Amino acid sequence: MSKHDTKSETEEANRMWASASFVGVLIIIGLPLWWKTTEVYRVALPYDKINAFETDSHYISTELTVLANDDETAQEVARQIEKAFQESDVIKLKITKKIIPNKLQHLLDSVADEQEALEDVGAAFNIKKHNTFYVVQRKPLYQDVWVGTERVAFFRDIKACSTIVKVLEKWIYQPSVLIGARSEIADAARQVRFPSGPGYHVVLSVVHPRPQELKVNFNARDAIEDYIGSFVDELTELHNFTLKSQWLHLLDFDFEATEVPGGRVAGAERLPLLLTRLEERAATHVSERPTLNLALYVVPCRLAPLALQRYDKEIPPPVQAFMSPKWGGVVFGNPTPEECEKQVYTPPVNLIMGTFLSQLRKLLGITDKEAQAGARLEALRRAAPRAWERDALLRLRALQQLASAETSLRSLAKLLGEISNIVINDEVGASINLAVESIHRATEHMEKADLLEAHRYSQRAFLAAETAFMEPSLLALLYFPDDQKYAIYIPLFLPIMFPVVLSLKNLLLWFRGKPVHKEKTD
Amino acid sequence: MSLYYVYFIFTFLVTIKISNAIEIPEKFQKSNHTNNWAVLVDTSRFWFNYRHVANVLSIYRSVKRLGIPDSQIILMISDDMACNPRNPRPATIFNNAHEQINVYGDDVEVDYRGYEVSVENFVRLLTGRVPPDTPRSKRLLTDEGSNILIYLTGHGGDGFLKFQDSEEITSQELADALEQMWQKRRYNEIFFIIDTCQASSMYEKFYSPNILATASSLVGEDSLSHHVDSAIGVYIIDRYTYYVLEFLENVHPNSKKTMSEFLAVCPKSACLSTVGVRRDLFKRDPSKVPITDFFGSVRQIIITTDPIDIQEIPKRKKPMSINKTKVPEKREYLPQFPMHLVKTTV
Repeated sequence: MSKHDTKSETEEANRMWASASFVGVLIIIGLPLWWKTTEVYRVALPYDKINAFETDSHYISTELTVLANDDETAQEVARQIEKAFQESDVIKLKITKKIIPNKLQHLLDSVADEQEALEDVGAAFNIKKHNTFYVVQRKPLYQDVWVGTERVAFFRDIKACSTIVKVLEKWIYQPSVLIGARSEIADAARQVRFPSGPGYHVVLSVVHPRPQELKVNFNARDAIEDYIGSFVDELTELHNFTLKSQWLHLLDFDFEATEVPGGRVAGAERLPLLLTRLEERAATHVSERPTLNLALYVVPCRLAPLALQRYDKEIPPPVQAFMSPKWGGVVFGNPTPEECEKQVYTPPVNLIMGTFLSQLRKLLGITDKEAQAGARLEALRRAAPRAWERDALLRLRALQQLASAETSLRSLAKLLGEISNIVINDEVGASINLAVESIHRATEHMEKADLLEAHRYSQRAFLAAETAFMEPSLLALLYFPDDQKYAIYIPLFLPIMFPVVLSLKNLLLWFRGKPVHKEKTD
Repeated sequence: MSLYYVYFIFTFLVTIKISNAIEIPEKFQKSNHTNNWAVLVDTSRFWFNYRHVANVLSIYRSVKRLGIPDSQIILMISDDMACNPRNPRPATIFNNAHEQINVYGDDVEVDYRGYEVSVENFVRLLTGRVPPDTPRSKRLLTDEGSNILIYLTGHGGDGFLKFQDSEEITSQELADALEQMWQKRRYNEIFFIIDTCQASSMYEKFYSPNILATASSLVGEDSLSHHVDSAIGVYIIDRYTYYVLEFLENVHPNSKKTMSEFLAVCPKSACLSTVGVRRDLFKRDPSKVPITDFFGSVRQIIITTDPIDIQEIPKRKKPMSINKTKVPEKREYLPQFPMHLVKTTV
């Protein structure tokens, strides 16, 4: 043992400790720190709850009361209805059977007018409640079944059972449309109505191509306020509506009309282009909400009367109008030759607004009711929708929003698995949690037949899911994909890491007490 | 004799049966889209890239002529060649040497211009994750029934497309953006066209369904320009887009041309680069798909025959706030120069 040896040993120890401290800083502190700081920030999400969604198992309960003169009829009608709706997994009926009280029965049998009979039923039962429906027996009926604007259907006797079932299926509950709303693929009804949303703008544009030739007496503001306003006031639970009106002058359009006896017919392939032309001028896309476009096109006198198709045999409809799904409707105002002569045109406001309302109903999701044999649907003679149509809309929107929210959340969860550099910050996490919670509450309310609350929660879930999916912050790491990460780190860290990693072997040997270097022998 | 007839009828029926079995039913060949959108992007700036602006405006002109409304076309142009001080013919952009078609026209609605054309805005547009104050005209408001035409032009390399002069989008990022669109049901089918160098590298990473993609050149090839206009002094248009436009000019809204004709529009002899096509993600047979499925526009028209016969004129219950009596506001002119606010030091 020489002095030289001990000196080299302490030197060796110093060297080793130095190298160990490098290892300590770089590998034990540095690596985890680097890992932690470059981690994509993701809030813990309720993945198990999202994966447990079963969109196809949602259903809505609804209350149906059968009122009949005698117990036997009530039993039979209720049994038939129950049988028909047994297999439907989208709507579940809670049927109660009752005998009509004597007083009401007497009234129903003696009153001549159905509307009065409705009022009598309304006095005895609460027909204003959402999501209820009454099937009431009324002997002096001309048809098997009669349906009006309230949540009541009259039937004559026990023989009307099959008609009642058909009416409930095709008019009142429409399980096929509800299934379409719940599924992922758009069915025919969904291709027409506007997608769900918190609110819409309704814009009535009066298009007047030749203002120099004709004066038009039409108060667009009052018309939209009174007619459309009283219609949308009934739908306030569903959406917010903003009503606007405007005049568009000098909007020329070539219909390529062909002359036929008694007027002109517009070229069929030109009509979609009219929509494009209207869109250019109507400037409806300045608002952030979707717009329901309503346009009254005042036909110039040299074209009037303009028709949309040829009517050789059949009687032409009272008004020329067309609609385009998810866009809106156009009504043509055809001035008469006398009006053209006087150069003053007064459009038939009732007829025009009635046409717009008919289009608006379809665009918002109220489907057409096919005629059923033996049943009579009282024609609508007011702006407001029927009470049971509102219930149907609420059911439809609740299911659709719920299904859409679940789809959004599911695909977001899937995307997070697929694409690694999506950030989930606290706000996105909060809206996902809110959506999941609202979905659960909406489902509960649906099963309890509490329709208004169910719709409110489903709308909240839908909006929260949309915000979560469309949150701009999800793209925060757009410029930092993995390959670029390595492109930066490898040239930065590799030159330092090499000697550190290489010294590891020596360090381990030294710690085990073995000599690191063989003694040089001269 | 009768036996012969029976045999004849039997074989006849069998052949009908077989030919029916082989033929793909019509409804699976027909597109079920309900609206058409177009996203047209020019990613490069500076005067010498005049041809890219001409490219994108040529496509814009065609889709607009074939019926897609401006509200459903998102046009991104990263530099304003029409107003460039070097442009000898201000406010015009031509796509051929004889200056026959002014593609700038009189009705061009540019949605994103100048430095707004960035990778971030492009990906935000596709995925729908735009800032909440974005106007509707700058959003891609597509749904599950939308057919989208995406056209990109600019300078590209193997796996990326350069935006402006500072950043690039990689093929992976583009593929991820399209997947996010698919997951949100933001399209029915996409037709993806890209006219850059090494263009086919941009669609190689796609993994979402229902995308038909075509590119002006394969990996390792350059995409070349068509010709110079000596009056303007720069290359006017790229070869691929030139032949595409030549083809599209002969398409009319009700013409029967198919996508397979479109895909074969620029043979190697004309383009000098090989046009790449990717059709494995696309379910339909391109030779059965009419070109108007992507370049035209469908708008369903339903004739209304059942107006509501309103009996009494409705009167909306007016909200209370309207009935408030208005206090007339006092107005006066302010002095032209606000001298009363300035403290005089004299």
